[in-house]
Amino acid sequence: MSSTPITMDNADTHSGITNAKLGVWLFLASEVMLFATLFTTYIVLRMGATSWPWGWDALNVPLATLNTAILISSSVTIVMAYARAYDKDVHGYRLWMAATIALSLAFLVVKGFEYGHEFKLGIGPSTSVFYAIYFTMTGLHGIHIIGGILLNSGLLAMSFSKEHWENPLFLGRVEGAGLYWHFVDIVWIFLFPALYLL
Amino acid sequence: MANKADAAHETAHDDHRPNVKLYIGVFAALLFFTCITVVISKFHLPRPQAIALGLFVAAIKASLVAAIFMHLWGEKKLIYSFIVVTFAFATMMWVPIFEGYAIRPKLLYPVAVADQHPDEAAAAAATDASAPAAASAPAPGAQP
Repeated sequence: MSSTPITMDNADTHSGITNAKLGVWLFLASEVMLFATLFTTYIVLRMGATSWPWGWDALNVPLATLNTAILISSSVTIVMAYARAYDKDVHGYRLWMAATIALSLAFLVVKGFEYGHEFKLGIGPSTSVFYAIYFTMTGLHGIHIIGGILLNSGLLAMSFSKEHWENPLFLGRVEGAGLYWHFVDIVWIFLFPALYLL
Repeated sequence: MANKADAAHETAHDDHRPNVKLYIGVFAALLFFTCITVVISKFHLPRPQAIALGLFVAAIKASLVAAIFMHLWGEKKLIYSFIVVTFAFATMMWVPIFEGYAIRPKLLYPVAVADQHPDEAAAAAATDASAPAAASAPAPGAQP
């Protein structure tokens, strides 16, 4: 029986793109379809409604603006973490990745305050069509934030292991996590004006 | 084997050498555009203009994140093809919306046509005047 170990290297495709990166982009393509479906639903419901509330009247715009700033900041911190990983600066990487996770948690805390205030007023998904689509879209986005926190926490933990840090695949993993996180940011960039401002 | 993998890995990422100054510039631009979006919404512009302007600013912000943070600027053509195909399918979902809200209401609700397009309403009324005679005549090929 052969004892030759199976190695995967970085498995570059003939296109010059790593398999991991191709996989992340295909996953993001499916995510685009998921959120595009929800945005289409939002448009259909809004166009069919006899009236639609202004976000300023129905939701907490200052808190949502704060959350937008937090999420944009986290997009910068994760790209800075990638830059530090690229330069093999493990301490810098840990610092920026920890900042990304902290900002992500801050986003969830602010969102929790917002939801909590709405629930206290007796507002829920069944209150109206507007709130139904609001809770559905922001809730699904929140689940993506939680997924990103778990992913980024895993990558932060891996950096404490020399074996993982020195693995040539590690930088690609950080880049993949960054791509996912930026996508989550882009979704919020459209959710914020669609639900809160327009 | 590790050296070979490392070399391949470095080659794969050379196109995306981080540019920290650019990242900070994009961060400032994103915050600026967020403020612009919020300020615009306070002016209570008419809905169509407000929606168009809001989505336009959001599209600029999303483009900045995709081009700079996601390194799409200078990315391989294969990735571009993924994105084009994805957005083509996403756009296809908008066709029924256009059909349902821009075309069918004019066919189903002539009252709305009368309000919005008086010239078309007059033509429709002329057609309706001849409709009873047409309706009473047997359809071609119908059994007596």
